[in-house]
Amino acid sequence: MATEAARAVPNEILDWKVTDTVETYDRESIFDYINGAGEVYRSYAFRDVTVWRFSKPDAPDITVEIFDMGSPDDAYGVFSHTRESEESGIGGGYEQRGSVLCFWQNRYYVCLAAYESTDDVRQVVTMLARIIAQKLPQSGGIPNLIGLLPQEGMVEHTQRFFHIHASLNYHYYLAEQNILRLSDSTNAVLAVYEPGTTWLLCVEYPSAQEAEEAHGSFVENYLPEAAETGVAMVDVDKWVSASKLGRYVVITFDAVSRARSTKLADAMKISLIDANLGTGNDQ
Amino acid sequence: MSKKNDLITRRDFVKGASCAALGMAIGLPVIANEVAKEVTKSRVVLVRDKYAVASNGKINGEVIQRMLDQAVTALFDRKDPVDCWKALIKPDDIVGIKSNEWHYLPTTTQVEQAIKKRVMDAGVLEKNIGIDDRGVLRNPIFRKATALINARPMRTHAWSGVGSLIKNYIMFDPNPPNYHENACAPLGKLWELPIVKGKTRLNVLVLFTPLFYGVGPHHFDKTYTWVYGGLAVGADPVAVDSVGLRLFQAKRKEYFGGERPIKPAAHHIAFADTRYHLGTSDPSKIDLVKLGWEEGVLI
Repeated sequence: MATEAARAVPNEILDWKVTDTVETYDRESIFDYINGAGEVYRSYAFRDVTVWRFSKPDAPDITVEIFDMGSPDDAYGVFSHTRESEESGIGGGYEQRGSVLCFWQNRYYVCLAAYESTDDVRQVVTMLARIIAQKLPQSGGIPNLIGLLPQEGMVEHTQRFFHIHASLNYHYYLAEQNILRLSDSTNAVLAVYEPGTTWLLCVEYPSAQEAEEAHGSFVENYLPEAAETGVAMVDVDKWVSASKLGRYVVITFDAVSRARSTKLADAMKISLIDANLGTGNDQ
Repeated sequence: MSKKNDLITRRDFVKGASCAALGMAIGLPVIANEVAKEVTKSRVVLVRDKYAVASNGKINGEVIQRMLDQAVTALFDRKDPVDCWKALIKPDDIVGIKSNEWHYLPTTTQVEQAIKKRVMDAGVLEKNIGIDDRGVLRNPIFRKATALINARPMRTHAWSGVGSLIKNYIMFDPNPPNYHENACAPLGKLWELPIVKGKTRLNVLVLFTPLFYGVGPHHFDKTYTWVYGGLAVGADPVAVDSVGLRLFQAKRKEYFGGERPIKPAAHHIAFADTRYHLGTSDPSKIDLVKLGWEEGVLI
């Protein structure tokens, strides 16, 4: 268990007291704690999670989990995996739904949960989250690629950061097989844009050659009719484009028109170039 | 360049709009040519009782016994539930009742005991009946079981879409992560393990207070449960899971005011049909019999 995480959790808050049972689970043992859903964390550089339980007579227990995700990028990534809304003021951002509050900060992803959502519980959960956030290391910005997503037309809170094929399929089911050759070594961002529901995917590969191979695989297996043009209509008013830029592959799905498809992809590539990425000189 | 024949992509099921309602209606990536085969209708009995769950959340064991009896008699077109169980189980069977102990939403002792009672009524000695979940591989009853009864609640699940009857057998493999690939697509393969293959006599999907939406990757929040007071029962686990999935989508639509496909897609149910031939996932090929409490039945 990371010492800084342990130091961040108080022994009591209001009338809730931490119980003696503090448990830690690593990449292998996480299945003992949350069975198959542990794969969500393992799809990132998850190291371990430590779990505290707070109890108070005649009140729901509160569980505190601090996940060491290995890096701020991956702490943000797992936070973005299921978030539907986001508020600022706790950590790098937080979401509270029902009796569950989750936030990310530095390389940590923190969740506080109670069985029932009473006013008392929500109040103490929020208070406890603020205390923990104050004690965890403060630094840790969002992943670079997230910051480079075009802002115009982006639907709020739809940005995702991930690495692997299964995560892409979670957000946007592309194919059973890993035709984009995603892996622990790739960084991917995905967001939804208006008009309609256009998905923008940008993947960063370890090398330009790997990006080129992945792009070729995608075109061959998903968009063969666009081998020359890089864009095609795959269904009524659903356009898909695919292009590469240095170590990056940029794909748009389900755009309402050819123009919208290429314009959004171009905006992403301009962002990459403006950041001095994707030019071939950034390796 | 051309697409490889064995590749399955989103474009395949967009094109396959005429395929089973299952895939298209609820966002499942089901492939048209994989579900086109003819199958005999699988019967699923959905029985509900408004008194199954008391206002304090307690489960009424007497009501549950009655619901189970109604379900099996409707399932097998017989009047006497014990006759049904005698047709399912022989006195010399060794019976494992595969339960689910997830503490927020377990199978419940009431369901376990209702099943156990009827197994004993069929003539099985109590010492030859086991109830277990995570310990099945160490449990001598399960290791030598000749018959299994599969019972668990349905709930949303961050990696498989839903926790299903099909998934409930994952503890029969010493290495459950073997089945996590592609959002648990291969779960149907579990049923080919020698310890379970051909042994399941009945599947009971518990729908008392289902969790229809998950907060974060693994959290339970009572806010996203509702009192449904139901059991879905059938011999075909895929058909029963398919009915449960339809219920979840209907509930999510009602609750959120629009389509809210389950994420990730619970495609292991469709693949259990099309790839592992374990049962029927296509709603048009399922004979759904609804009994009891009608209000809010949703499907």
